[in-house]
Amino acid sequence: MNDTAVDQMYAIAEQVFSAMIDGDVGPLQPWMGDVPAIVDPIVGWVDAHGGWTGRAALTTSRPVAYDLTRALLRMDAHEEVVMEDLVDAYGELVNVVGGNFKALLPASGTLGLPMVADTLPEVVGAVPMEGLNLAWRGHLIIVSIWMFG
Amino acid sequence: MKALVIDDSRTMRRIVGSLLEALGFEVHQAGDGQEALDLLDDGLEVDLACIDWNMPVMDGLEFVTRVRANPDRRQITLMMVTTESETGQIVRALAAGAHEYLIKPFTPDSIRDKLEMLGLVGSEELV
Repeated sequence: MNDTAVDQMYAIAEQVFSAMIDGDVGPLQPWMGDVPAIVDPIVGWVDAHGGWTGRAALTTSRPVAYDLTRALLRMDAHEEVVMEDLVDAYGELVNVVGGNFKALLPASGTLGLPMVADTLPEVVGAVPMEGLNLAWRGHLIIVSIWMFG
Repeated sequence: MKALVIDDSRTMRRIVGSLLEALGFEVHQAGDGQEALDLLDDGLEVDLACIDWNMPVMDGLEFVTRVRANPDRRQITLMMVTTESETGQIVRALAAGAHEYLIKPFTPDSIRDKLEMLGLVGSEELV
């Protein structure tokens, strides 16, 4: 992927967060500076099969995923989030990002169902295509795209 | 008016449902196409169905095809609400009988605009 593709990925993320999470484009910015290791990570991913086979993944820390869930579900800042809601909301966020990324590709594919776990399961032959580091309200969120061999 | 929101994501059902309720709809929900068909078979009558594409058990395209094959359900306006944004997918959905197509992510304004175009809400309703 080239810089244009990265810009397009950023535009997708900005559009998704603006429409679903924040209501405006301000809270999501490109991550500036060194990228720290994510403590207590959670990852959501969606795979595409068919004309293009690959994976779009979103990784962040669990507390940030809870905040994203609260924002998505219009919950109060300190309202308790049950794991079922976190998995569903974070998975849907990944699903929308992945689906819009897939539309950028010349070859169409069929999107699978989103998954959420502590770690991203390995796929033999998977090749990282691109990564995009984002700061949402100052917290790191990593978008990564993988192409399956 | 009654609406049926069909999506395997409870999050998305909640978001779409609350937007429709704000527009005056009585909202019912189903987690996949088969569950939605079961509700219709059990007698639920709706004016609008908002349908995700990728769902387990029965996907949105199959649901649209099944509903359109039943003359008794011609009154239901079918709107896909999905991440599938490729032109080919949109064409497939419309060819199967969907009336409208809304791509995720959407804003409250965009869903209201679609429903206005479909004649299901007037321009005076506020989200």
